Amino acid sequence: MKLSLQWLSSFVDLSGLSEEEIIDRTIKAGFEVEEITRLGQGTNLVVGKVLECVPHPDSDHLHVTKTDIGTEVLDIVCGAPNCREGLKVIVATNGAELPGGIIKKSKIRGVESNGMLCSLYELGVPKELLDADSPSQNGIEELPDSFEVGETGILEKLGYKDTILDLSIYANRPDCLSMFGMAKEMAAILDRPCRLPKFSGAAKEGGPTSLKVASHTENCPHYMAKVVNHVVLKESPAWMKAHLRANGVKSINNVVDISNYVMLETGQPLHFFDLRSNPQRDITVVDDYEGDYTALDGITYAMQKGDILITSAGEPVAIGGIMGGDGSKILEDTTSILIESALFDHAQIRRTANRLGLQTEAAMRFAKGLEPLAQEKAMDRAVQLLKEYADADGLEETVAAGSSNYEPHQVKETLAHLNALIGKEYTLEQAMEVFRRLDFRPHLEGEEIVCEIPSWRSMDIKLREDLDEEVVRLTDFDDLQSTLPDLPTTIGRLTPAQQLRRLIRDDLINKGLYETVSYTLTDEKNTHESLYPLGEAVKLASPLSDARKYIRTSLMNSMLESLSYNVTHGNDDANLFEISVVYAEGKQQERLGILLHGDLSASRIRHEELKADYYVLKGILYDLFDRIGYNASRIRLEENTLDHKHMHPYRSAVLKLGNEVLAVFGQIHPAYAAERKLSDVYYAEVILDTLLSNKPASVKAPVLNRFPSISRDMSIVVDKDVNADDLLKSVKKSGGALVVSTEVFDVYEGSFLPEGKKSVSLSIVFESKERTLKVEDVNPLTEKILQDLIKKYGASLRS
Amino acid sequence: MEDYEKLKSEALKEIAAVQGEKALEELRLAWLSKKGRIQALMAQMKELPKEEKPAFGAAVNVLKQAVTAALEEKKEELAGALLEEKLKSEKIDLTLNAYTPSTGTSHPLSLVTKTIEDCFVGLGYEIAEGPELELDLYNFEKANIPHDHPARDMQDSFYIDPTHLLRTHTTAIQMRVLEAAHGHTPIKLICPGKVYRRDDDDATHSHQFMQAEGLVVGEGVTVADLKGTLEFMISSLFKEGTRIRFRPSYFPFTEPSFEVDMTCHICGGKGCNTCKHTGWIEILGSGMVHPHVLEMAGIDPKKYSGFAFGVGLERVAMLKYGITDIRDLYNNDIRFLKEFKSFN
Repeated sequence: MKLSLQWLSSFVDLSGLSEEEIIDRTIKAGFEVEEITRLGQGTNLVVGKVLECVPHPDSDHLHVTKTDIGTEVLDIVCGAPNCREGLKVIVATNGAELPGGIIKKSKIRGVESNGMLCSLYELGVPKELLDADSPSQNGIEELPDSFEVGETGILEKLGYKDTILDLSIYANRPDCLSMFGMAKEMAAILDRPCRLPKFSGAAKEGGPTSLKVASHTENCPHYMAKVVNHVVLKESPAWMKAHLRANGVKSINNVVDISNYVMLETGQPLHFFDLRSNPQRDITVVDDYEGDYTALDGITYAMQKGDILITSAGEPVAIGGIMGGDGSKILEDTTSILIESALFDHAQIRRTANRLGLQTEAAMRFAKGLEPLAQEKAMDRAVQLLKEYADADGLEETVAAGSSNYEPHQVKETLAHLNALIGKEYTLEQAMEVFRRLDFRPHLEGEEIVCEIPSWRSMDIKLREDLDEEVVRLTDFDDLQSTLPDLPTTIGRLTPAQQLRRLIRDDLINKGLYETVSYTLTDEKNTHESLYPLGEAVKLASPLSDARKYIRTSLMNSMLESLSYNVTHGNDDANLFEISVVYAEGKQQERLGILLHGDLSASRIRHEELKADYYVLKGILYDLFDRIGYNASRIRLEENTLDHKHMHPYRSAVLKLGNEVLAVFGQIHPAYAAERKLSDVYYAEVILDTLLSNKPASVKAPVLNRFPSISRDMSIVVDKDVNADDLLKSVKKSGGALVVSTEVFDVYEGSFLPEGKKSVSLSIVFESKERTLKVEDVNPLTEKILQDLIKKYGASLRS
Repeated sequence: MEDYEKLKSEALKEIAAVQGEKALEELRLAWLSKKGRIQALMAQMKELPKEEKPAFGAAVNVLKQAVTAALEEKKEELAGALLEEKLKSEKIDLTLNAYTPSTGTSHPLSLVTKTIEDCFVGLGYEIAEGPELELDLYNFEKANIPHDHPARDMQDSFYIDPTHLLRTHTTAIQMRVLEAAHGHTPIKLICPGKVYRRDDDDATHSHQFMQAEGLVVGEGVTVADLKGTLEFMISSLFKEGTRIRFRPSYFPFTEPSFEVDMTCHICGGKGCNTCKHTGWIEILGSGMVHPHVLEMAGIDPKKYSGFAFGVGLERVAMLKYGITDIRDLYNNDIRFLKEFKSFN
């Protein structure tokens, strides 16, 4: 809402209030001031007449003038192309403070200049608020003859002395989208009387008419129409043009301007039809028309059932509340018009306008809602202005379908409840005073303050809390004290999922990984290329773009995108993790993605680096799980049979906890990585829901063995595809209870071994809790272990 | 007979002059071993008359003790010198690059979330979550935003179908918790989470962002309680002693509603470029829970009241860390991420 303070001052006395104070109180009352535009600024401005205008001797575009300002004749150099003898101009004399700086006596290319001839643009009026043919668009302003040489107050007289506040109006205050509504609001805010023009009943006048109006839809509960004859089209008065301009509305002619002006004043969109377009003089509002309709903008729209259409003799003449048709618009030779002032359902207007992409001013206003008496008010005001400024004299009586009545409803509040809700000690007088300022006509019934809500506030004042807000808005609120709720004690805590997330974050950060947050929405390709997708991807009904069309079903591709971004920006060592919920039709699941690329740590000076590979990733996973209560003995590592397209078939595995999949991890398939111009990427997709559905183990202190242990190492040669883990299991089984730990400490494959063989070096630690073991205890066990390995795996001792 | 004093001074002189541990050992053997000079002196004793023996023995003992002590002292001296030399040889360049254990960082949005959660857990709040793929019912209807409510213009949403959408605010979580409470109070909760709106991404808009909303319902909850609670939270997020002010506003699910400004964290309220010389920065939206919202959840608005607030976590992070482009929070550039080593 553009609020012109100059226009406002014709309804509310603003004297004695600084602009700053008005703005401050407007903000405190709950309006956001998005922009402040100050038009026409400048001191020392006076009307002058150019007595002489000759070319500057040393320039091809400057003029040297002698300009009479009444008290003296000044030599002024001027660069405007339209500067000429006889012109009445705005002169800024020496010392004038203009938006661009202070005017001083100066020499311009050797010629003395005492002042400046001004354009309105130079005085701070934005070009878009100037008329298109204004001389100030490209030169100095040319004043009409009615201005006297030496006269001041030029900007006021031109209607360009104004400050325009661009206010954002919340959805509950459509009344403030109209000048009359805003004037009442500002009067309440500033605690001053509001004087609106008197026009009530102006539309009562009118002789017999043959006009017939009907509404066949409940989405048009009120349709008023009136024929006005003998209108004379001409230019609108300057003040009307100025007010329209301040609101960004272009002046066309008096009749069209009046329809726009009344909309700005009352908030009610009006439609003026040229009566010639409706020879039958009948209007029927329907919502069951199906077919094409070409509107004023020349575009043909496909109208559907539900859309509100204004028809005459079965043919549409306007899209109700949104846009009229070319055939019924006001032309230069229009003499008789049909005024429409109607109420259309806000929801239906919104639906139709959204579907057709027709966000017209009228549609926007209907969609936001109108006060119940708006149609009558607008009709009255339009008739009054047409009589006064378009010389209308042939009025026919108003015809209406439906009606709108408003009986002020009552809302009650007690001082006790007000103070209990706000936590402040208002007095009864303070509260009553606020309601009086708002025209709520408050009176007391026992403890209760009873307010009678006027029509223009009926949309948002319904409950006692709504009244409380008015008190808060219109009184000083910065002195509200700060307290904490006085409620029964409750225990604050995180959910198990939140605790788990924190543990994971802390652990992975300590391991050198960076946490990422990426977008949930993704494209079709990523959706098809999901790793271990949760299910059928959920698709948006109206995405913003193809790139953000589906909800991701796995985290892998998001993390690969984060990696690509980093690699492109020179960060090759990118070790990342992300925790997020993924979705699929009917399902959701919390997941953790871990991605390794490049070095996890490196020190050049020490010639050390820890390069990401399958085993590093495996270690990160196992240690993480161990830390959060799921040690390796509970986790089963299986061959990856889930996905060989995105995962290296021989360098990836599936981890299970119980029978549930806990993670899919390994090297990203080189071919898939290459598609993204990446290589050597290691990735784990972990299902956090699996952890949450399995209890973590609680920590128990270990019983430390006081007897020493004996360790034995052996290197054996086995077939290449024998798994280390199987060998260790065999060792454990053969060695029995005295084997407390086993480890592979070296694997060798190479030219010293036969084809298809590898050497595996095992370390076995023996320990007893009862006694110190002797060599005689251990040697037979070691031999048995070896014999079993030979039997089961065809192993041989490496010589 | 030997002159003891001469012998002693001879021994001490030799000991003082000796270089190196090996030479010292040779010297020790020369004087103190069984074939050493002192033992040789002792051998002379048996040739002495009986009455002279004690005095002789005592004198040789004194000599032996003196030599032994001198040898010990010299040994320590040499060991000390040796150690000093070894340490000196171990001198390193103290300024060379350190070996830094590699650690990562939390995402700044996680840091902000955690700070807010911790701040309210301490006040006895429950931390609640809910689905991002939400029912229209909880996102709009129960939040007092019926179909075709003009407020829906403010939140153009990603719908899946007429009843499902990506939630546009974490208010949806509040509505679920309110319903699940079956009218039991007090309710004190914080609900952080991702939300989605149909905005084109640019420096200040993101189709995906994070919010944390708070909700308190109980007997006698006031706007002043809201102010105190928010001051506590904002002080935890920014600076101790940050003040706030309320500006009346409009949200369908609260009445009265307030925009909340905080004193500028850069200038402390004096006025600077960050706060556009006003001293205040808009930080969040809040209000008293709308009676209709309480009613829909089966809570009697005549008996109970409550407050709610919602803060954009990106906004907090951007203000706090001076981030000028919201997309930086979603690009996951390690050069950016690695700076967020702690919340401060």
